[in-house]
Amino acid sequence: MDTKELGGKQVEVDEDGFIQDPSAWDEAVAADLAKTEGVENLTEDHWKVVNYLREYYLEYNMAPMIRKLCKSTGFKLKEIYDLFPSGPAKGACKVAGLPKPTGCV
Amino acid sequence: MNKRSRVEDIGRRGDELLASVGPEDLGPLPPPYDKPEDRPAWKEMNDKAKDRVVCNLDGVVALSLPKPKDAAEEEEYVEKFLSGLKKLLEPQNNWTFLEPLLLSLEYCVKCQTCNDACPVFAASGGKDIYRPTYRSEVWRRLVYKYVKPHGKRFARFIHGDIDLNWTTITRLYELCYRCTLCRRCAQACPIGVDNGLITHELRKLFSQELGWAPKELHEKGTMLQLEVGSSTGMNPAVVKDNLEFIDEDMTELTGIDVKTPWDKENAEVLLIHNAGEVLAWPENPGAFAIILNAAGINWTLSSDEIGYDGVNYGLFYDDFQLARIALKHVQTAKKLKVKKIIMGECGHQHKAMMTISDRILTGDMSIPRESCLTLLEKIVFSGKIKFDPSKNDFPVTLHDPCNIVRNLGIVEPQRRILRYLCPQFREMEPHGVDNYCCGGGSGLAVMSGNNFADWRVSLGGQVKFKQILDAFADQPGPDVKKYVCAPCSNCKGQIRDILQYYKALDKSGITYGGLVELIVNAMVDVKEPFIHWEMH
Repeated sequence: MDTKELGGKQVEVDEDGFIQDPSAWDEAVAADLAKTEGVENLTEDHWKVVNYLREYYLEYNMAPMIRKLCKSTGFKLKEIYDLFPSGPAKGACKVAGLPKPTGCV
Repeated sequence: MNKRSRVEDIGRRGDELLASVGPEDLGPLPPPYDKPEDRPAWKEMNDKAKDRVVCNLDGVVALSLPKPKDAAEEEEYVEKFLSGLKKLLEPQNNWTFLEPLLLSLEYCVKCQTCNDACPVFAASGGKDIYRPTYRSEVWRRLVYKYVKPHGKRFARFIHGDIDLNWTTITRLYELCYRCTLCRRCAQACPIGVDNGLITHELRKLFSQELGWAPKELHEKGTMLQLEVGSSTGMNPAVVKDNLEFIDEDMTELTGIDVKTPWDKENAEVLLIHNAGEVLAWPENPGAFAIILNAAGINWTLSSDEIGYDGVNYGLFYDDFQLARIALKHVQTAKKLKVKKIIMGECGHQHKAMMTISDRILTGDMSIPRESCLTLLEKIVFSGKIKFDPSKNDFPVTLHDPCNIVRNLGIVEPQRRILRYLCPQFREMEPHGVDNYCCGGGSGLAVMSGNNFADWRVSLGGQVKFKQILDAFADQPGPDVKKYVCAPCSNCKGQIRDILQYYKALDKSGITYGGLVELIVNAMVDVKEPFIHWEMH
């Protein structure tokens, strides 16, 4: 497994840069993960998405439905792509420290 | 670089790529996608990654196989491969596919007719390693040299030489995931040799004997499904919660009171969706609920672990895993005492449940299993639901999922529905059993590690994207909204990725979705449009 310096510490990541240990996540890690996704600054809107994903994940141990994410944050999917160019699964989930979504999604 | 790759090269010069491939090899697309500089570049494997994982085939890495520690470890895997190679040809060890495999071993006359049928070979500009016969020929030579009596002395003179070593098996493993198992090659073969089956059997060998399988299909697929109930990670509580959300959402959207029934004993129909639909395309299970309720069908979903996820990735790589999941599906149906299982819009679920599982679902486990497409046809033409086809008055084309159409022969029900409900329905060319794969078949659509997504979408999806554009060539502009109907979760994932890669919604007004969404969109009782031309 590869490691990467994120938020000033060495963190294990998979081949797509998703962190492997969710407890290693903090805001500084998120900021550095965002840079790997081409997002230089996390704005309030970014945090709205990240915080929702994070809270859902801590409760259910997986990523939420995309429609739930949109409804809860008030963003359309296109707006989420504007915030995270790789999209909700590969972009926003990665920044929020979730593992890569699985199954036919 | 377009040098020829010979079959025997697969075991030679292990530190080099066997072939090189990139976007420059792909053929042209119609405007506005005709400028090569507009085609997104492929991600390259960096040196750090190449130090860690095997990268010796074509510069693309789907599988992230760790490099071996030492020569002894290499040897151990080569031995396991050889043992598996023998088992594939033994009746006691290959109860599923031995007969057709033996026929495909012995009867290829190397006419290469199948090559032209393969969308991967065609899109690559004719790379030797992607010929349907390349993989098969490697396998044949290995069998003749290492399994048949006196092979080491004589086989190379009759069948051609090959070396069995670490390089051979690692390149072959990766190469097994450059084929989508669409079996267009098998259909094109004048004598019925099945190169798709050979690829499947090789994948099976790697999984069952060496423990090598894509983590998206095995560890995060089958194993997760067995552990929590679904390859998506949804446990029973989460799936029920999500469906409750979908019911509310659909009620809000359509003005119809949508209610999904759960765990209803003695129901006529147990509907099993691919659980990915719930997370990524909730309008699909929502539309099913609207249609089945409106038609008065006595139906139910199951909240039993695995009973709510029709995924059976074992179909793609491992007979044992296939059997474990198939048994769970049937146990769910038996427990609820339903009359039959209806498969949702998922191609591989159709093939796994309707045919391959027949080998184990005998006696009282042989519960009737039916495609949603035939049930939907009966409903649409039953007169129980009122339709206004003018609500679907936009260009619609149909993608034929290989597992449902070519491999099972379910060709017309979905077409009769579309001809009735979609005034501007038009076929892709070719279509029906001759249709091309989306490029994500056999699980590739859920694999995107390293730079594999670039290969899958760009090269794998090239022929399909061109087919879609050609089908809409009469109205190419973005102002005319168009719909690609793809009744399969795996195909939808791939088509979504293709459309996003080329920004085809913005540039051409093309969106995609399943069949049930079009049916609901045409219902008189659904007042607001059900289909939206938004990114999804």
